[in-house]
Amino acid sequence: MKDDCRIGFYICNCGTNIAKVVDAEQVCERIAGLPGVACARAYKYMCSNPGQEMITRDIRERGLNRVVVAACSPRMHEPTFRKALEAAGLNPYLLEMANIREQCSWVHDDPRAATAKACDLAHAAVRRVRYHQPLEKVEASYAPATLVLGGGIAGLTVAVELAEASQPVYLVEREGKLGGNVGRADLTAPYLDSARDILAEKIARAEASPKLDILLRSELVELRGFVGNFRATVRTTGGPTRDLAVGAVVVCTGYQEFDATRIERLGYGRFPDVITSFELERRLRMGRLETDDGRIPRYVSIVHCVGSRNPRYHPYCSRVCCMTALKYGHEIKSALPAAMVTDLYVDMLSFGKGGEDFYRRTSELKTMFLMYEKGDPPRVRAAEPGDDCGLLVQVNERLSGEVIDVPADLVVLMVGMEARADGGDVARTVGISQDRQGWFIESHPKLAPVSTATEGVYIAGCCQSPKDIPDSVAQARAAAAMVLAHVAQGKIEVDARFAEIDPDRCSGCRMCNELCPYTAITFDPDERRSSVQSALCKACGTCVAACPSGAITARHFTDKQIFEQIEGVLAWSSSRSS
Amino acid sequence: MAVRANPHLIEELEKYGAQDVVKCYHCGNCSATCPFSGGTYLFPRKSMRYLQMGLESRLRATLEPWLCYYCGECSDQCPREAEPGETMMSMRRWLTSRYDFTGISALFYRSWRAELIAIVVVALLTGIGLTIFGLTYGDLNVYDGEGAFLPAAAIHRFDWAMAIVLVILLGINCVRMWWFTVGGDRGVRVPLREYLKLAFLVPLHFFTQKRFRQCNEKRPWAVHLVLMFSYLTMLILIMFFLHYLQDGPAINWVAHGFGYAAALGLVGTAIYAVHGRIKKTETHYRHSHETDWIFLGLLALVSATGIIQHVLHRTGQPAAANVLYVAHMMGVVPMLVLEVPFSKWSHMAYRPLAMYLSALREKAVAVESAPADKRAAVAQTA
Repeated sequence: MKDDCRIGFYICNCGTNIAKVVDAEQVCERIAGLPGVACARAYKYMCSNPGQEMITRDIRERGLNRVVVAACSPRMHEPTFRKALEAAGLNPYLLEMANIREQCSWVHDDPRAATAKACDLAHAAVRRVRYHQPLEKVEASYAPATLVLGGGIAGLTVAVELAEASQPVYLVEREGKLGGNVGRADLTAPYLDSARDILAEKIARAEASPKLDILLRSELVELRGFVGNFRATVRTTGGPTRDLAVGAVVVCTGYQEFDATRIERLGYGRFPDVITSFELERRLRMGRLETDDGRIPRYVSIVHCVGSRNPRYHPYCSRVCCMTALKYGHEIKSALPAAMVTDLYVDMLSFGKGGEDFYRRTSELKTMFLMYEKGDPPRVRAAEPGDDCGLLVQVNERLSGEVIDVPADLVVLMVGMEARADGGDVARTVGISQDRQGWFIESHPKLAPVSTATEGVYIAGCCQSPKDIPDSVAQARAAAAMVLAHVAQGKIEVDARFAEIDPDRCSGCRMCNELCPYTAITFDPDERRSSVQSALCKACGTCVAACPSGAITARHFTDKQIFEQIEGVLAWSSSRSS
Repeated sequence: MAVRANPHLIEELEKYGAQDVVKCYHCGNCSATCPFSGGTYLFPRKSMRYLQMGLESRLRATLEPWLCYYCGECSDQCPREAEPGETMMSMRRWLTSRYDFTGISALFYRSWRAELIAIVVVALLTGIGLTIFGLTYGDLNVYDGEGAFLPAAAIHRFDWAMAIVLVILLGINCVRMWWFTVGGDRGVRVPLREYLKLAFLVPLHFFTQKRFRQCNEKRPWAVHLVLMFSYLTMLILIMFFLHYLQDGPAINWVAHGFGYAAALGLVGTAIYAVHGRIKKTETHYRHSHETDWIFLGLLALVSATGIIQHVLHRTGQPAAANVLYVAHMMGVVPMLVLEVPFSKWSHMAYRPLAMYLSALREKAVAVESAPADKRAAVAQTA
């Protein structure tokens, strides 16, 4: 096979990104002399249209059957050049890329050594590509139904968007009613519109939609299968356990609030008039803004960053508390114009649309803003007899250096968001991972914010990280759009790179079953053989390396290909060192 | 020791004329532009912050508002239009009401109606008292000579009595000011020696207003000095040389020369200030508290009645002159009784006193930061 190879070699200057360190012409000359190389060219931008057309034309006119592109990382432009091969009728897997930008020109400054290294990398790619085989992508069907976990604002949004696009949706909610944490709030910042109105509209749409199946008091027990072809087992308390066929899963399990008793000096649990933001929301919703013994509060102190931005508890910012605290300033002032509000804050983060303006308007209500040090939260104590307030909040004011006693009848703790305690169970069930704080991890923080490492499983809302309602809704709609894009195609293309187990050589030791990070390997107890579900496999190679019988081969990463690549890297460097 | 915050402090100061304090975001432009700010004193920014933090006890203990003469640079430079200059002005009103033990000052500053009613009542009492006194003891001729019921000697007795009452009232308030700012501050100890050594600062600043002159804009200082010297001249003439003014028919040009100059000064500065406040010609005239207008109104009333009364007397119309004299006294008495201890006139005592107290504080701060052995030595001598 390798004797009839006609390899085209293309080296990219990437403007000056590569060319300023690597002598592309010299690399071209050396590679041109290798056996099987039919043509070698350098070009300013290979990824540009003329660059791609150059490859396509050469394949057609010169009868190339292998292509090597020495350019940037394959994560960047491998899909681009594969398309160029396909355009000329060549199987896209007959391409190999040599990364001479990220792994060479960007990290070296000696042109001579960098050029030599680029030659080695290119040589390796040329050696490897000779053993590439044409591979065909596998197609699988895509079930139109979607499973949405969590009936908060994010889950409701995903479900309504999909159902109104005429796709079947199962909305699974653990509690007895929809709404989640937004359902516990009164008004919303910065426009002071009612949280209940926002939810009521969404819930009405959800309930009216014939495509939407709302499963209350239900939990996902098990998820099997792969993108487009999941089988979800959902158990309903006091009801049936269902087995649902879904194409995608959107996780919108939200957050839980920080337990304020953990910061002892705040006095939560000790003083009945120290309450959390959610307890205040409930009082505001009921229209009864009073102290524990039924008095009208004259002084209200709001403590920001309770559990947030503190290395002892949670290092991150919970993002909604500052704006919510400012909102309380407005709500308290409009309910009790004589009450004085004090905000004890660390930094005022009133970012986002309408945020700064909201802060300005709150300070014009004569809200007192006192700043405290991150690691030094205020200390709450009972007021002395004869004081005109019930509590005193002592704060080390950071801007003035003063130790200040703030009078308070009601102390409101802005409890931060934290990942749900049982988030790990959800993560394991659907096959996604969590960061150190327990938030679910997205594929890419900027470019793929709602995808996860498991294809077909998406995340939206606060289960990914703390966020406000607009951001949760935006993510939810993004996830809905991701699902709809697949549903519209009706099928899923599975990458042709995956691991295969030779049943004749498999001893059935099951070592690979445990190791596979994508749970793509199943064991057939009757045959006593393991097999890979190609759609789930990411061709990471873990099982290939682990298999004691050498029974597993990763397509496109065969032993021969990798050994050739290693030989190629070493071929010239060994001659240099000797 | 923690300081107690009063969340109502800004609202309280607003009753004294403060506005837009909440707009301040502490950029510090005001303090950068102020020629007095720096070193120990970082105003007006620091006072603005005390206000926003509701630190009433800290604000009561500060001398900073008295060290500001409201040139208006800070308000002009403020990017938030938070009016720091006007805030300092309102703090002076508020501090005046804190020093005043009677509570009358607080009442007047927070309610111009109360002040106006008090002025009218005192004026009426003065008018009725003089009329009854005159009708009981002879005709209404106030001037020396046949049938005069208020010869210069009687007036002297009257105004000395009033002066003693006023000095006692103002004196108590000054002691309170000392206690709030220096005496009652446990963190500060001033050796008695320094009290004596620095005492000269009070008359120095009283007569020269030299600190005011350090403002970039010199005109307000000049106007203020003219106003103060005119008052002082009038005061000295009336308290010590009244008979020279009342003797007639020949004019005593030495006494009258001073009198005319002082009258010109008072009328001139009154017209200047009224014009300035109406047209808002200078930054410190941009905002006018009701008490500013009452003060100017009284000044104009007293000047006008005094001049007309003098003209009538000298042109031989005794009956009309006597009526005008009673009217004049109906302005003078409320002005002295109500304005000196309780309102704007008290500044004449508080400002030089503040310079003295601030110098004392600086000495005390030096004592605090001195090495331990030296501090002990100083404490012993104290």
